[in-house]
Amino acid sequence: MNEERELAISPIVHSSVQHNSQVVSNIRNLTASLFGVAAGTLGLESYPGFLFYLVGTLIVSSLIFAFRTDGKPTEYFHQPLGDLWGGDVFSGLSGFVLTWTLFYGLVRA
Amino acid sequence: MAQPIVQTIHRDPALFWWILLPITVVMVLTGILRHYAMTLLQSAPKKQALPQIRQQRSLVRGMNLRANANVLTPSSFQARKAYMVSAYQEGKFLADPEGRGKPRPNPMSDPAAMEGIMGMMKGNMAMMVPQTLIMGWINAFFSGFVIMKLPFPLTPQFKSMLQSGVGTRDLDVRWVSSLSWYFLTLFGLQPVYNFILGSNNSANQVTQQMGQMNPGAGLMGPEQDPDKLFLNEAENLEVMEHRWILEGVEDRLLAKFSS
Repeated sequence: MNEERELAISPIVHSSVQHNSQVVSNIRNLTASLFGVAAGTLGLESYPGFLFYLVGTLIVSSLIFAFRTDGKPTEYFHQPLGDLWGGDVFSGLSGFVLTWTLFYGLVRA
Repeated sequence: MAQPIVQTIHRDPALFWWILLPITVVMVLTGILRHYAMTLLQSAPKKQALPQIRQQRSLVRGMNLRANANVLTPSSFQARKAYMVSAYQEGKFLADPEGRGKPRPNPMSDPAAMEGIMGMMKGNMAMMVPQTLIMGWINAFFSGFVIMKLPFPLTPQFKSMLQSGVGTRDLDVRWVSSLSWYFLTLFGLQPVYNFILGSNNSANQVTQQMGQMNPGAGLMGPEQDPDKLFLNEAENLEVMEHRWILEGVEDRLLAKFSS
């Protein structure tokens, strides 16, 4: 009940939430493709490649945390853990695999 | 144990220009074409008669009243609630008040329902046809080439699919033919479409399915009895607990500034 009252006093605007998650997913997609280029050029294979992607997204998450939300993610996201740190990690993976394969094929194999 | 020999295949650099690049370009262009085809195929919403529109909108009005009740003072909320509930129960907003209680007609015979089904079929067609065409095109033109090596290992089950047309039994699964590049682009091009067409595009399947769930479509389908929906909404309004948002606002304000 108390939480419901909090929500009524400071409501969550749906379009703002959508816009914020859109911004995060745009950043993720772009950086995922660039990580793919980097991983392919470095010639990473199998596990190191995926590990590279995870580490890269973690760095990007902390950059979003530091610069886009000014260190206060609760003001921008309803659930900072899911939406900022974990949001769209796997949707970026397909773009990563695409560019990774392309550049690996062009540079190495 | 000796280290397993790493298979290497020397490929013509022209494979990139004549296979990889064309497939990628075709995939991107198909996505864009599909987006514009979907935009063109979308039939404009049919004009409805005034009573039908009133019937729909009054139901939406009740829902909005319920959703935004806490910004109203108790007295004005009570007044609205009393009006809406009595109007719902009397069936004031019904499109044909004489038809209350009669069984609904078969939804398949209703032309409005057929239109919705047709729209969905069109969407599916716009998705299926290019995919089959492109897969056939790739199989006809580019089968039998090994074009690239995947940077990650796969299980041998993928061999028959990804190396189709390559007649070597012992080749590593990581060497794949052009069809697998097609699959990679199929799944990985969504960000590219996002950047080209904006975020609300219908170039790929996933976003297209989201677009079909337009808001309010299932709200009052032709197969549902509007009278029942109205009675339901009246009941919802009756049992709703109303809390005014400005209740105790002075205390909250003072607490905010004193801290």
